[in-house]
Amino acid sequence: MPPPTITVPTHYTRVDTTASLTQSTTRAESRQSRLWRITAIARNAFREAVRDRVLYNLVLFVLLLTAASIFIGELSGGQERKVIVDLGLSAMLLFGVFIAIFVGVGLVYKEIERRTIYAVFSKPVGRGEFLVGKYLGLCLTLLVNVLVMAVGVSLALLYVSRGWDPLIPTIWPAVLLIYIELMLLTAIALFFSSFSSPALSALLTFLVFIIGHFSADLKGLAGSMGSTSARWLFDALYYLLPNLANYSFITPAAHGRAPGARFVFAAGLYALVYIVVILAAATLVFSRRNFK
Amino acid sequence: MNERMKSLTLGLVVVAGLACAALMVRWTNSLRPPPDPNAIDESLYLNGKTARRISLGFNGLVADWYWMRSLQYVGKKILSQPEDVAIDDLSKLNLKLLAPLLDTATTLDPEFLDPYEYAAIVLPAVDVQEAIRITQKGIAANPNAWRLYQHLGYIYWQQGNYQAASETYGRGAQVPGVPVWMLAMKAKMIADGGSRDTAREIYTRMFEESADEQVKDMARKHVLLLDSLDQRDVLRKMMHAFRDKSGHCPTSWTEMPTAFRVFAIPVDSSGAPVDPSGVPYLLQPGTCEVQLNPKSEVPVK
Repeated sequence: MPPPTITVPTHYTRVDTTASLTQSTTRAESRQSRLWRITAIARNAFREAVRDRVLYNLVLFVLLLTAASIFIGELSGGQERKVIVDLGLSAMLLFGVFIAIFVGVGLVYKEIERRTIYAVFSKPVGRGEFLVGKYLGLCLTLLVNVLVMAVGVSLALLYVSRGWDPLIPTIWPAVLLIYIELMLLTAIALFFSSFSSPALSALLTFLVFIIGHFSADLKGLAGSMGSTSARWLFDALYYLLPNLANYSFITPAAHGRAPGARFVFAAGLYALVYIVVILAAATLVFSRRNFK
Repeated sequence: MNERMKSLTLGLVVVAGLACAALMVRWTNSLRPPPDPNAIDESLYLNGKTARRISLGFNGLVADWYWMRSLQYVGKKILSQPEDVAIDDLSKLNLKLLAPLLDTATTLDPEFLDPYEYAAIVLPAVDVQEAIRITQKGIAANPNAWRLYQHLGYIYWQQGNYQAASETYGRGAQVPGVPVWMLAMKAKMIADGGSRDTAREIYTRMFEESADEQVKDMARKHVLLLDSLDQRDVLRKMMHAFRDKSGHCPTSWTEMPTAFRVFAIPVDSSGAPVDPSGVPYLLQPGTCEVQLNPKSEVPVK
């Protein structure tokens, strides 16, 4: 027996196809223009950071490394390579944390203070797009900062070793993890600044940075707690607060040990999820904010 | 006053003010009573575990800081002494902070091997139990670092505990990639622990394997001393043989020139036997005794 056939009127089919084509074209165009707007805001945020002389910290970093390369050999009992990696990567993290916190908390606040935010939102720019653009702009600034510093550390190692040093390839995965940590911290600073004053946002972000590095202790505390509610509280803090200890690979890098590719991937994925969550929450808060 | 003059004046005030401040710092420093070198050292405010916890991921850098502080601490104490002191005999220097400093450095960065080596070489003269504890901590954190077994064996050997030294060398010999002499040292400790040959072997290996210039120099001087002790034993025997033959001890090295050649003891242009650092020995006339020259690099003990 032949299968039953369903006859569809031709004009219906034509109308449906045209509608879906028009819809998908509009969606693609809207996605493209949204991307363009975010890119424009990010580019401007980067330019603003450069104009604000944020990258001047690189001069201090270069001076620090040059001095360390020349003098640290005498002070460290022949451990200058280890000290240069420790010092270089620690300075990279510290300078990056300061930039992420102090520039990050001012990203939104400055626009509100100068009232330029009205000009931005008078154009077809969404609040979420504005936040993501600002975030990416600062991430770009931090990327330039971290890359220049990593090249500086590699050059310092070349100088003290009088040639190729096996520590050079092992520092780059640690540098990548530092950059991911800074991206995470920037998102947190932006989140706090979306509803709070710069001083309070900086303080709160710094506290998250400290607690994030104490995550192992939070887990230990949860395990040693007698009461169930306290254990639940510390367990919740351990799982909900960003685990920044995942990105601390400076000391192993100084001993020539690089994190495995799977670990870096997992840490990167964790950061991505966390950043998406934080930016979504920031957008949620920021979109309800009244600028009057 | 025009703008340029104003800027110039302000600039001068800044420069002159800073110069004055620097001079005043020097002046107040000169008024301060000198520190008592025998004063009791302050204690460390933080132990290693607390320091690690609050270092916020900068533990490697803080460990480097503690390591450099240990070196400066010992260096300052050595410089305060009027005479030269050997790195492995610093018992007189009241180094009560050294063990906590090294312990903190190694707690902050357990893979940092140099503080363990320093603890094994310098600490036994100050606090042998702490030296053993820190080196054992290093082995627990770095079970494949065979040099730590070598250092622990060295501490036990210095204490005359040849059984423990042998066991430690034996454990170290099981580490993959370890040099073959570690296994030989295990046997040597039991069979011949207190001999000069064993001591020479220990210091020669330490000289070959250490990357630390101070440790290398200490090991080299110990080898010089051991060689010199052997040479002096031979010289004494030669002088006793001379006395048996002539009825008196030699008054000058020139009285027995051929004997040195027989025992392959090097001599200088004047015919006097020279120690391993190339400085002639001193003959004590009439006593058949030989002494190290004060100019010699060979340590007295």
